[in-house]
Amino acid sequence: MRTALARLATGLAASTVEAWQELRIHKLRVLLSLVGVAVAVASITATVAAGQIAKQMFTESYDTEGRPAHISIMAYDDRNGMSLPVERVRPAFETVAERFGVSYASAKIFAYDIKATTPTRSKQIELLGVDPAYAAIHRVVVPQGRWLEESDKERLSPALVVDETFLKKLGLQGTRLPTSVELTGQGMSVTATIVGVTSMRGYGTARAFMLADSMTHWQTGAPTDASYEMWVPVEGADQLANEIGMAMRAELPGLQVDAHRDDYMAWGGEDPIGPIKWVIIGIAGIILLLGALSLLNIALVTIQQRIREIGIRRSFGATTGRVFFSVMMESVVATVVAGLIGVLLAVAVVKNPLVEKYVLQGIDDVPPFPLSAAFLGLVVALAVGALAGILPAMIAARVKIIDAIRF
Amino acid sequence: MSSEELLSLTGVARTVELPDGEDLHILTGVDLQVRRGDHVGIVGRSGTGKSTLLNLLGLLDRPTGGTLEWAGRNVTAISNRQAARIRGRDVGFVFQQFNLLPGRTALENVMAPLLYASGREFWQRRKRAAEMLDQVGLGDRLDAMPQFLSGGEQQRIAIARALVRTPSVVLADEPTGALDVETGAMVMKLLDQATYDSGAALITITHDQNVAALARRRFRLAGGRLHPLTEEAAA
Repeated sequence: MRTALARLATGLAASTVEAWQELRIHKLRVLLSLVGVAVAVASITATVAAGQIAKQMFTESYDTEGRPAHISIMAYDDRNGMSLPVERVRPAFETVAERFGVSYASAKIFAYDIKATTPTRSKQIELLGVDPAYAAIHRVVVPQGRWLEESDKERLSPALVVDETFLKKLGLQGTRLPTSVELTGQGMSVTATIVGVTSMRGYGTARAFMLADSMTHWQTGAPTDASYEMWVPVEGADQLANEIGMAMRAELPGLQVDAHRDDYMAWGGEDPIGPIKWVIIGIAGIILLLGALSLLNIALVTIQQRIREIGIRRSFGATTGRVFFSVMMESVVATVVAGLIGVLLAVAVVKNPLVEKYVLQGIDDVPPFPLSAAFLGLVVALAVGALAGILPAMIAARVKIIDAIRF
Repeated sequence: MSSEELLSLTGVARTVELPDGEDLHILTGVDLQVRRGDHVGIVGRSGTGKSTLLNLLGLLDRPTGGTLEWAGRNVTAISNRQAARIRGRDVGFVFQQFNLLPGRTALENVMAPLLYASGREFWQRRKRAAEMLDQVGLGDRLDAMPQFLSGGEQQRIAIARALVRTPSVVLADEPTGALDVETGAMVMKLLDQATYDSGAALITITHDQNVAALARRRFRLAGGRLHPLTEEAAA
């Protein structure tokens, strides 16, 4: 057993030495193979990595609408279709959320025609009254300052988190936080304190978030344009939405409650980037096929020139299996080296500061270069080497020693 | 067969089928015994089957008749794998055209057979190859590329390569065929001495009577059989 293992180790080491010598000698062939395979592997690795980064971008974009599973709840009067006052619905919602043990639940109260004023400017903004859990539900990232906290409802000057459009429109860019801003309109007149800035990108509208409690406190006249939302585990979410709807109706007798899942995963498809992924895989496959064919072509041509050499090796005692393995190893060693170069090339392209600056500018959490993409690149290189090596290796193994020596 | 006998051929025949379906009888009944330390010379005209006989002796080919024994073991119909193992361990080849591996240095060429060895032989291949090259007088040309060396030097590399695994038989196929007379004589002397020193048997196949004359036992291959040319050969 030990002898057999030692022989196997020697055989493997010797085949690698042979393969390396062969590659060193046929530098041009290796270079040609390397270029084709390295480009193919770099393309595959880069597209897979880009695909994963794109997925991150899509996910982030969709998540701002509510992370899966996201349940939206609205209550209205069935007789006239009017929304109900927040002060009536919100306690029912909080009771139900607590009963179902939902950790991430938030009200979402809209207030339009609110004017924000700074010493220099005054602009219309969109104000949302939310609970602290809103940030988790919508993946709100606050690179500057902080998000709203439960304790903020005690503040005399309500805490405000604004988006970058808000800062820009009110000329507050570069201002140190916290800073004050006047909010007026819809019965509200209060000096709010901006405590954080989100990286959310609206559609040109300046947006600000305030705790729902602060909003109901400072806005005269009960706000009505409100909905309620929860972030729950994906499994069993549809069932949960039904049960929550029923529980809400029980809490609000005689009123209509609509509770349903509305996150992107509930739209029907499991994976919203599925089609893109298939396009990427298709392109990568074609690139790989071309790389493998060029490698095979070069390997087949060169094996014909090496028949004599193979015959000489057979005279040294190389078995058919050993010749097969050695020729195969040449292909594998070359493609693995090419694969490494390809992966490095892909990392250099994808993680290039210019790419990050211009292509990925809309992404909050730029993911690190996906290890799985690098691993896939290497596995692909190995597989291409093995596949492209089989045919030449078979030809080499079938060489007749006597003919080869006299070739 | 005595214990000293390495090779024993009894009535060995080799027939090939021609494209028209006819049989061509190259060897019809070769008898030969080779002992350790022997130097056997086989002469013959072109087309008499010298190379066919060498291929059989080196287990590169199999006889179609008779018996071939290696150190008392019948190897007439062994598998290719077993033949490769015996060839690697016990046979050294010296070819007419040197057959050095292109693109490799003198040292790498001599190391090449050791890539098929195992254990210490494999791991110490560089040291062994360098020593072997030193023995054939090329200790200062380890890193030289064969194409930049003379024919005599190239054949000396081939001799070092043939002997590096200390085989029991060295088969030389027209070893001086590509060399001038003077260089050929020098190479033959070296080959004879080196194989004798290593205790191996040397079988030289040639059409050159002068080369064959160096052998202690000489045969002429004709009509598919070996005919003794010396009294020792007949013995």
